[in-house]
Amino acid sequence: MTVLVIAALGLLAAYALYIAALTARAGVPLVDGGGDIPGWAAMFTGAGVMVAGVGLADHLALVSRFGLQAVHPAMGLVLGAMAGLLVQKRLWVAARIAGMASPGEALGRYYGSITLRIVMLTLAVLFALPWAAHILSGAAPVITAATGGVIGRAPAVWGLAFFLFLPAVVGGWRAGVLVMALQSVMIAVLFAAVSAFAEGVLPGQGFLSGGIPVAEGILRDMIPGVIQPSAGIGKEVAQGGIFTTVGIVSTALLFVGVALSPGMLYLAQTTAAGRSKGFGAVWLVAGMGGIALLLLVPFLAARPDLRADLAAVEPLAALGLVLIVVVAAQLAAAFFATSGTLIVVRELVFPFVLPGLTPRGQRLAVRIALALAYAGVATLGAFAPVASAVFGGLALPFAVQLLPALVGLAMVRWISRSAVIAGLVFGLLLVTFTDTLGLVLFEGLFLDLPWGRWPLTIHAAAWGLAFNVAVVLLVSIFTARGVERGHRDRLHDEFAARWQVPQTRGNGRTALWSLTLIWAFLAMGPGAILGNSFFSRPIFAGTEASLGVPSLWVWQILFWLIGTALVWWLAHRARLGQTDAGAVRVIDLPDPAVAPGPARAPDWIAAGLARVTREAR
Amino acid sequence: MTGVSQDRVQRLDRHALVMAVWLPAAFVAAALFHHGLESGGAWWLAGSFATVLAAFGAHVIVNAVLGTDFTPREVALGLFAFALAALAVVLSVLLTPGFAGRQFWVAALGLVALAAAVILYMVIRYGPRAAFERFDIIRDNNPRRASRLPHRGGRA
Repeated sequence: MTVLVIAALGLLAAYALYIAALTARAGVPLVDGGGDIPGWAAMFTGAGVMVAGVGLADHLALVSRFGLQAVHPAMGLVLGAMAGLLVQKRLWVAARIAGMASPGEALGRYYGSITLRIVMLTLAVLFALPWAAHILSGAAPVITAATGGVIGRAPAVWGLAFFLFLPAVVGGWRAGVLVMALQSVMIAVLFAAVSAFAEGVLPGQGFLSGGIPVAEGILRDMIPGVIQPSAGIGKEVAQGGIFTTVGIVSTALLFVGVALSPGMLYLAQTTAAGRSKGFGAVWLVAGMGGIALLLLVPFLAARPDLRADLAAVEPLAALGLVLIVVVAAQLAAAFFATSGTLIVVRELVFPFVLPGLTPRGQRLAVRIALALAYAGVATLGAFAPVASAVFGGLALPFAVQLLPALVGLAMVRWISRSAVIAGLVFGLLLVTFTDTLGLVLFEGLFLDLPWGRWPLTIHAAAWGLAFNVAVVLLVSIFTARGVERGHRDRLHDEFAARWQVPQTRGNGRTALWSLTLIWAFLAMGPGAILGNSFFSRPIFAGTEASLGVPSLWVWQILFWLIGTALVWWLAHRARLGQTDAGAVRVIDLPDPAVAPGPARAPDWIAAGLARVTREAR
Repeated sequence: MTGVSQDRVQRLDRHALVMAVWLPAAFVAAALFHHGLESGGAWWLAGSFATVLAAFGAHVIVNAVLGTDFTPREVALGLFAFALAALAVVLSVLLTPGFAGRQFWVAALGLVALAAAVILYMVIRYGPRAAFERFDIIRDNNPRRASRLPHRGGRA
């Protein structure tokens, strides 16, 4: 098995380097891949990141521990696809018509806020360093186990990081996306092949015959209630499992976090025009992603020692299982590390730290930044896995808090700068103090809090978003017609003139939102509790139906299919999934928070640099 | 993008897409083939050939969507791999005890199916005459002006 694992990972690394070398020979810019990443690559990469971005190893571990209730949050793929459609097309348009070429620049210029630029940069760093390190750190034990300890955890992390760094530094953003697209296809194919092989060939009980084995006291194929009055993880144990319906819907928000992460927004902004956003959202994110995480994961989680069982029958099948986890980790880590670094370089280094760099100097700056980022990822993943998990765990819930700001940019012109910033402050604080970092810091420095992680079985992302949205709505009431409204209107007037969404008015809009809310209530919200017995003990029938599979699984599949149809509606009927380069008309939208004229470094940065480079007189 | 060869970039994008089709399929086909050889199951071998056929179909779809054709390198690699596989089957028949009885027919039928799929593709893509002319190198040895007439093939 050791030779197989090393050979397979070596071949994938060689392929990545080969594509990177071809990209470099074509002379494509490192930082944005030319701004016209092919649609097919963007949609496969986006779908792969949606599946792998929440941490596939963590997801598999949770399903093995909690059963079908932990599968249910994967319904969030539909939410993530919807969120992506709502904001990504308009971001693409803003990049083309107003030159807002990266997510921080788009929010910063639209709202006229330096604060939002800093928030976006902080998020990019959170994703690029601790979250990427946490994901790589989760894949390393799989390699160690598969090689029988020949490759230790730390060397595995360093090896993975090094072979992710090489293609990024040689080929930049475009090469990275092309390689990630292949990794996404590979994950999808291996998911299907390994699941089918395991269920069809392996002896013993699988998911269909025996369900997912869980510890006593855990409901393996039922949701443990709508909500539980639990103080939270670390303080009190929830009865039957932590994934109540509110736990499910709040955890599902993490997929929205992936869709709104700086890297995904940057990918959307640098993709070529076409229908790829819609196709990717419907068929790959909601469709293929749902098949993988809702239909196939239970088959993989049902056998506690699946790798060894597969290795005894067919070593290549066992290798396939290892590759699913490792390639998914590589994909997510490379995506977040590369995109985060490029965003930081583009938004901070080029305009403010080293303005006026020659193209050659810019390439060197990108390469140095990538080297530093991947060294940081490897160091954190190898030597500080707990710190990576604690800090990285904030990345997705924090990204969810961008929702009001991005919806404001894309759709709702009355959401003001002060509303967004006030909402973000509340949202980020609530996330911090309902997740590990805030609790550890506060309880270590001051006193014990009465709640733990996920109080009332509600994930930190939802606590933050609820307060965030409430504050945004409240503040917007008073500031919607503020002095900066005219600045925001310029972008929205252009959207309305040439990029109108056909169903944002009248009955179509009402039907779309009503159906989406009803779907969310039944698919993931409190209504999902009906799925526990809806198909095994049908109401009014007074009898038990023998399905052969858990009722909850049927409920999940049914509402996943309905959700995918809703995504199709948004993508194609509402045309949020297609972009047209021919309709682009450039407008002038200066940043009110930055002085006009050529970019120059702030004095304190310039002075600091001068000391280092000995240019001070 | 100044200094960027758009033609080269387009070829790179297509090449990456083709690789994204073939690499995962090749892995699955190899696993199925290996399991078929080890377990003696004919259906596993058939599954591996079906995977290769599916990848070939996906490659054809890529060509259709992008408006391209198989590159000379792809054709050469395909022919080389096919010849290698055929040679491996022949050597296995001669050198591996029991192969002829258990797996020969599936392997041979699989190779024939691959060849048939390629021929079918060429006939559909180019028509019977043009498909045949792709192999008709004898006719190129002594070209006459009449052979360029449209009703006699019209080759350039």
